Amino acid sequence: MGVNWRSVLLLIAAVVLVGAWIAQGQADNEVVFPMPPGPLYVKECGSCHTAYAPGLLPARSWQKLMHELDNHFGEDASLEEPERLAILRWLTDYAADGPNANMLMRRIANSIPRGAAPQRITETPLFKHQHDEVPAHIWKRAKIGSPANCGACHPRANEGRYPEREVRIPRQ
Amino acid sequence: MKTRYVFVFMLVGSTAWANSPQQILDLLVQEARQVQPGFTASATRGEQFYRAKHTGGKEADSCASCHTDNPKAEGKHIKTHKAIEPLAPSVNKQRFTDPAQVEKWFRRNCREVLGRVCTPQEKADFAAYVLSVK
Repeated sequence: MGVNWRSVLLLIAAVVLVGAWIAQGQADNEVVFPMPPGPLYVKECGSCHTAYAPGLLPARSWQKLMHELDNHFGEDASLEEPERLAILRWLTDYAADGPNANMLMRRIANSIPRGAAPQRITETPLFKHQHDEVPAHIWKRAKIGSPANCGACHPRANEGRYPEREVRIPRQ
Repeated sequence: MKTRYVFVFMLVGSTAWANSPQQILDLLVQEARQVQPGFTASATRGEQFYRAKHTGGKEADSCASCHTDNPKAEGKHIKTHKAIEPLAPSVNKQRFTDPAQVEKWFRRNCREVLGRVCTPQEKADFAAYVLSVK
C-alpha cells in the first residue's frame, strides 16, 4: 500500500491550524487590551489618572461618561469638541463590546447587566474577581493610594497591558 | 553670505520658538493688559496665589494640593494618586510650550480650586512665578 500523500498533507494542515488556534487561545488569556493609536488618548485621558483601556467597560458606559466630562467624578475634565469626538470614537471602537473585542473583553462585556452602564472600572465583576486577593492595607500604601491608580502596580497600564507576570506591587 | 544665513536662522528660530515659556508668559501679560492697562506680572504675587488656600472650589483648595509646595517637585493627584510631572519649565521642558494646553489646565484647575475662572492677571502672575523657579 502506497502512502496517500493527500491525506498526509491534510493531516499536517490540520495540526498547523489547531496549533495556531491553541496559540491564539493562550494569547487571549493574557490581560492585554488594544489601545487607541497615537499620543492623543494618553495625553488627554492619562494626565490625572491611568489612560484606562477602553476594553475595560462597554461602549454605553463610555458614551455616558463622555457626555458628562464637565462633571467627571466631581472634576472638570471638559475637552474641545474635535478631541472629545475623536476619543469617543476610539472608546466605542475598542470597548469591551466593540468590534475589536478579544475573548477577555467579551467576558467583561457579558459580566455587566444589559441595563447597567457602570462608570467605575473598580465596580465591574472582572476587576473585583482579579483583585479579590489584594488586602485593604496594600491599596493604602503611599505609592498606590487608590484602586484607580493602575499604573502603580501595572507599569505598562497606559499601553493596555495588565498581565499578572508584569505586576510589581510597591513595598510602601 | 553670512548675514543672509543669520537672517534665515532668525526667521526659522522665531517660528520654531513661538511657544517658549517666556512667549507664553508674554501672551498672558498681553491679555492682562487688555483688562488692566500697564499691568506687569509679579512672581511674588504669583507665589502667594500658588500657595494660598482658596475657597469656593471643590476638594483641592490650593495649587499646592496636587503640585506640592515646590513646583520643581513631582506632584500627586489628590484623588487618583497618579504622579503629576513637575510644573516648572526649569525641570520639565514640556511645560508652558503649548498655549492650548496652558489654557485647558487653567480652565479646569481654576474651576476645581477656586470655583471660577481665573482672571488674566492671576494667570500671568502664576506663570511668572512658575517660570521664575530655577
